[in-house]
Amino acid sequence: MLKPHLTRDSAEQYILGALAPERAAALEAHTLECEPCARLLQEEALLSEQLHEVAQALPGEERVVRPARWSARYRAAGTAVAAIAAAAALALVVARVQQPARGGASVPRVLDAQPPTVALGEEEPPTNMVACPDLATQEACTRKAAERGLLVMNPWGTAEVPRYEARTGLPEGALSARQPVSL
Amino acid sequence: MEEPARAGDEEALARRALTGDRAAWDALVARHHRRVVVSLLARGVRVDRAHELAQETWARLIQQQQRGLLTELRLPNLALTQAAFLAADDARRARRESISGAVEELPERQHPVDPSVSAERRLLSEEQLSRAHAALAQVSPSARSVFLLACDGQELPHAEVAARVGLSVQRVRQILCEVRKKLRTALEEETHA
Repeated sequence: MLKPHLTRDSAEQYILGALAPERAAALEAHTLECEPCARLLQEEALLSEQLHEVAQALPGEERVVRPARWSARYRAAGTAVAAIAAAAALALVVARVQQPARGGASVPRVLDAQPPTVALGEEEPPTNMVACPDLATQEACTRKAAERGLLVMNPWGTAEVPRYEARTGLPEGALSARQPVSL
Repeated sequence: MEEPARAGDEEALARRALTGDRAAWDALVARHHRRVVVSLLARGVRVDRAHELAQETWARLIQQQQRGLLTELRLPNLALTQAAFLAADDARRARRESISGAVEELPERQHPVDPSVSAERRLLSEEQLSRAHAALAQVSPSARSVFLLACDGQELPHAEVAARVGLSVQRVRQILCEVRKKLRTALEEETHA
């Protein structure tokens, strides 16, 4: 008996691996009997492959994905916690310094020390620096970056600087230090 | 730190697989098998044959490793290329069987098919890519992160994507469907234009 036809949603869910095994098996069985549904499945599979190409063709700096805990909210919370911890540490140090050395009664004094500011400055990477970490697309990525005059940082941490050639108009060998040349 | 960890894990598995470690091969197959099947479906291979060819792909790679012919193992690309070769062979064989007459009369005898063309083909034009990237730039940063994690070739399971971005698996799949829809529209617009 012919099973129900595929919808685009069900084909998409199958490609994403989101269907239960029995539903996936039923869908596969149906595409063996129904040519239009097999084509629909092929379209979704092709789109999936195209999307991999889209993701891998993105420039290196755009492909950096930060974990959720690096979001602005978490960064702000982290900065605040660090500042409070630093202020507490400083207050403790100052209080110990000001304690009388011989154990006499001490008069509480108000500390006028300002809490230190915590510089957690995030150094922005140079805007003319890109990374090409994916070995599969490294060659094309490097070529495109060079065409755009960008520095290419490879996974080993060294950078390749595009070379520019220019003509000075001087005769060949004029800048050689081996012999004087009249200009 | 998780990105390098995953990459390091993949490299370690590949190194172990190259020494014949069966458990490493099993882990790599489990990680990349689905992508191989989907790539075969995208080439118009029937779903039952796609599963067979995907199995054959892994068998060939393991065989090559056992013969000492594999010096490096970059997945999923190597498996995708191997699967594409097998699919092309399969198509040629089916064509020969369906055409009566001598093999010399087949068109590919006069114009041999370059298998590297079919294996390494580009699916999208530069215009389509730039249109897709423009569409991707309009989605929210979290949706974009989900898309990149799921599609950048590491073959992360959706559960792992969800854990990294702090969402549920269901939400991750929902986001992927939404991004697919946007990019499908972008790619189709270009095609129709």
